[in-house]
Amino acid sequence: MDRNAVLGCLIFLPMAGAFVSYVIGRFRKNIRDCFADALVILEFILALFLFVDFGKSGTAQFHIEEFAGYGIHFVMDGFRSIYALIAALMWMMTTVFSGEYFRSYRNRNRYYLFTLLTLGATMGVFLSADLYTAFIFFEMMSFTSYVWVAHDEKKASMRAAQTYLAVAVIGGMIMLMGLFLLYHTLGTLEIASLLEAGRLCENKGLLYAAGTCIAIGFGAKAGAFPLHIWLPKAHPVAPAPASALLSGILTKSGIFGVLAVSCSLFYGDALWGEAILIIGTITMFSGAVLALFSVDLKRTLACSSMSQIGFILVGIGMQGLLGFLKEGKALAGAGTLLHMINHSLIKLVLFMAAGVVFMNIHKLDLNEIRGFGRKKPLLCFVFLMGALGIGGIPLFNGYVSKTLLHESIVEYREYYFLSSQMAGSGFLPEGMAFIEWIFLVSGGLTVAYMTKLFIAVFVEKNRDEQVQKSFDEKKNYMNVASGISLTVSALLIPALGMLPNLLMDGLADRGRDFMHAGHLEEVHYFSLESLKGAGISMGIGILVYCLIVRFLLMKKTEAGRVYVDRWPSKLDLENGLYRPILKALNGLCGFFCRILDSLVDWIVVFLRKTVYRDRPFPFELQEGTMFTYRLGTICNKVQTWVEKKFPNPKRRHHEFVHEFALVHLQLIENRMVISRSLSFGLLLICIGLILTTIYLLGVHW
Amino acid sequence: MLDESILIIIAILFPILAGTILLFIKEPKSRNSLLLYVSLVFVICGILTVGILLGKEQELYLFSLTEELPILFKLDALGKLFLTIAGILWCGAGIFSFSYMKHEQREKRYFGFYLITFGVLTGLSCAGNLITMYAFFEFMTLASFPLVLHSQTRASIMASLKYLMYSFFGAYMALFGVFFLCYYESTLSFVPGGALGQGVADHRELMLFAACLMILGFSVKAGCFPLHAWLPTAHPVAPAPASAVLSGVIVKAGIFAIIRVIFYQFGPDFIKGTYVQYVLLTLSLITVFMGSMLAFREKVLKKRLAYSTVSQLSYILVGIGFLTPESLTGAFWHMAAHGVIKCVLFLCAGAIIVRTGITSVEHLKGIGKKMPITIWCFTIASLGLIGIPPTSGFISKWHLAMGALDSGIGIFQYVAPVVLLVSALLTAGYLLPVPIQGFFPGADYDYGSESKCESDPDMVIPLIVLAALSLLLGIFSKGLTEYFMLLANSLL
Repeated sequence: MDRNAVLGCLIFLPMAGAFVSYVIGRFRKNIRDCFADALVILEFILALFLFVDFGKSGTAQFHIEEFAGYGIHFVMDGFRSIYALIAALMWMMTTVFSGEYFRSYRNRNRYYLFTLLTLGATMGVFLSADLYTAFIFFEMMSFTSYVWVAHDEKKASMRAAQTYLAVAVIGGMIMLMGLFLLYHTLGTLEIASLLEAGRLCENKGLLYAAGTCIAIGFGAKAGAFPLHIWLPKAHPVAPAPASALLSGILTKSGIFGVLAVSCSLFYGDALWGEAILIIGTITMFSGAVLALFSVDLKRTLACSSMSQIGFILVGIGMQGLLGFLKEGKALAGAGTLLHMINHSLIKLVLFMAAGVVFMNIHKLDLNEIRGFGRKKPLLCFVFLMGALGIGGIPLFNGYVSKTLLHESIVEYREYYFLSSQMAGSGFLPEGMAFIEWIFLVSGGLTVAYMTKLFIAVFVEKNRDEQVQKSFDEKKNYMNVASGISLTVSALLIPALGMLPNLLMDGLADRGRDFMHAGHLEEVHYFSLESLKGAGISMGIGILVYCLIVRFLLMKKTEAGRVYVDRWPSKLDLENGLYRPILKALNGLCGFFCRILDSLVDWIVVFLRKTVYRDRPFPFELQEGTMFTYRLGTICNKVQTWVEKKFPNPKRRHHEFVHEFALVHLQLIENRMVISRSLSFGLLLICIGLILTTIYLLGVHW
Repeated sequence: MLDESILIIIAILFPILAGTILLFIKEPKSRNSLLLYVSLVFVICGILTVGILLGKEQELYLFSLTEELPILFKLDALGKLFLTIAGILWCGAGIFSFSYMKHEQREKRYFGFYLITFGVLTGLSCAGNLITMYAFFEFMTLASFPLVLHSQTRASIMASLKYLMYSFFGAYMALFGVFFLCYYESTLSFVPGGALGQGVADHRELMLFAACLMILGFSVKAGCFPLHAWLPTAHPVAPAPASAVLSGVIVKAGIFAIIRVIFYQFGPDFIKGTYVQYVLLTLSLITVFMGSMLAFREKVLKKRLAYSTVSQLSYILVGIGFLTPESLTGAFWHMAAHGVIKCVLFLCAGAIIVRTGITSVEHLKGIGKKMPITIWCFTIASLGLIGIPPTSGFISKWHLAMGALDSGIGIFQYVAPVVLLVSALLTAGYLLPVPIQGFFPGADYDYGSESKCESDPDMVIPLIVLAALSLLLGIFSKGLTEYFMLLANSLL
């Protein structure tokens, strides 16, 4: 098999298949489902082939020259082979699950069409060799995934979809601006050559501007603060398989872009690293707090995604800050990549489990789904795997990556003195200690909100016994295909977590070239020191759960304790800040534009009122001239006024217009009479004689 | 050779004559015979147009108005570009009209003027000197005026008068510049790169003023601020295919004329760095933003599209204003891309009006379920206009922004890309609600009572072809980009 052609297939096969599935779906729905399943399984096999093949024969390339001007260029290196495989895996699992999940939905054909298109586009983003290609497929992905969010067409989903699209389009435009600037300064968008070109570039200011724009564009998709607003809204309203993909893989495509900029263009740039680290920390902490307060199953998971993206961004930031320390950078790089992978896999499991809940009872509120998971061991197992994984519990995969990230922070503090000789800027160790604490607390909050979810769904009983009974009776809550896809996905989590040195280090090693990170020395994951961080987090988590969740976030009612949403609704960036600002801008700009728009029209109106006035007498005068008419009108008005002021019934009423016209007529007649008479002739002769005399006298005097 | 160059005259006169005949004959008994006649003329026009497009570049001197004012025809690369765009759109909108005009009266008159206008456009693109171009420019205004007037309602009469007044105002402003040029120049033939002689160098200030007037004058047709107001008034009242060609082709004649003035008469070096360039850039950037903003706030679909035209045409003017090969390439690209895209959008709006009678965007809920193909075409065209890759709109925007950044003109080089992108954002804001409402009518939408009402095939086919063209042009853009680049380099 030609590897390069397979690489092309990875992107264009699902896109072509999408349309085929649409056509099939017009006639037979079952065949369409089977076709889509077959397609994603084939995609997975192809990705797996390339993944294995990469180990043997290195990078593969795929060009389409002249596509959209500059041509598109794909490459398969270590990092990309991992992410192509994960994307294919996630699509396979969710598509298999979709068959059952969408049974009662409308517009399924549309869903399949856009899901497969998004698969192709996402592959395109991850495999792109230059930012131009990445941008093309990134935009495609944004638009095709819009359909997921809007799929329900309910009011809330349409609003969420609007937010999603707005963020995507605004992010896309900002990113495009960044690409313009970058191409203008460097003359290349090839990711592999950014490192060298960035180093040689002298106009650092422009480079920072370009990098910031690009990072904002990608960061918006990743869900980084303060552009995370779409994330907690879009995930809950999208169908569960789509939420899994949105959270697990689409956010990662944003991270991919941030990585491409951070690790190539700003390799080891402490200032850049610092900025990313701060954003990452805020995202990590605020996401965790939002998740803790949420009382909606999928919303909690969505906010959790945001928080985990924050962890990843912290890793990226640490890579920049640790430019002076090779081992530290390797740690941060490996932690970033592994946390990306782990989060993808975990969120796949968790969202599909949430999907099973929703598919059965069509509810997501914790109070209403409470107790649904009781007596359902498989669902419980699957969810537990995800919860333990994301909580960073030892022996599960999340622990490994969080440990690496934590280690990199510790390294920075320990070896900070080296940086003053090398790079200079960066955080002081005290500042880093603060960030370390936020990191650990966020980890603790993760444990707390996952415990909250687990206890609510799988341990506690529903308040309404009748409902609980119906929950317990529901044995047939998912079919075999869904069961298999959930179980397999769930098993990956402990598998990766239990053999970290074998599996995880191998993956990290593959990805390091992309991040220009050094080789990772063997890490003792289960040493006491490593376990300490996880221990602190777990301790905080249990404390937070017992104190805050049980007491602050629950309320006693007659029927028992219920979960309440204590998050102040005013504290919402979108409704409280962005929408009002946009609205005000819209009004303001609209006002000024309206003025500009009607400028000339107003001038025309003004002229017509003043200089270019229309004729005041659009009608022909019956009698008299303009002068007599005007004079008559004025006199008429004066007369009316006088009559009103000094009423005197004896006074005669005049029609001045008419009278003046008569006078005028009389004058004309008189003039004619005069001009025709003999005496008039004589008069003129006399005048002539007098004038002649005067002239003669004047000249000849 | 005479017989080859005479082809140009035939290509110009044939549609004019055919249209005039149509105006004077009696109303034909059956609609079909009218359509047969029109399509026959279309086919012959098409053959003639292709003939002169493929033919060699040659001059044809016809006669002189006075000793110094010859009527001269010469179809060069720019003219060919313009004529190609005009021909394709004219054909697409023409086919669309066959079905559309069934719903309007006085078809005979419509088609008569439709054909005449095409002949005039051919003449405009073949014009070899300023006088000839000016004559055809004025003629075009007159010939397209009845298209706006068509429905003869009070609104359309007022709108068409406004169109006429604005156009004449602009044309006279340009004429003022023509006088100066005539006085100081021995010849007014178009020469790539400018044709200024000694006379102009001696009167620099005066000639700059003349150039400014001519650019401003012709930009009225191109809907540039401050004299753009005729566009949003005239478009909504005209029949949809007429607005499509009005917005796709006729307004571009203004841009075509500006390119002629800047690059074939005064020469870019003369303009570069002077206040004329800054005036052009400032006005067009204001227009880009203003048009998008007003379109965003407009509720009537056709009027929204008209404001969008105002904004998009100024993209082209921005590209011209920067006077770099890259930005000029972007301008050429946008001429082609916007022409095709806006044609599709207006035709879609027309199809919606014919089928459902809806004019306001707010009432378009579920339209995508009723007319899926039409709204799909609308969506593809919208994405093109926003500039989502890999559509043609993206390619033009890329070159425009790159050209702006490379130009190095102080603040403009950064402001321009930002304005273009903000405008693109607004474009998304005013175009995407249509497909979104159309395809996502809401959970409470009544699927049971919906009835499919897709347009007739002869309305849908031009839509599909043009929408596909807007997409394919972008995907296979390399060849065209090189061609435009070559053309741009020959002018600068």
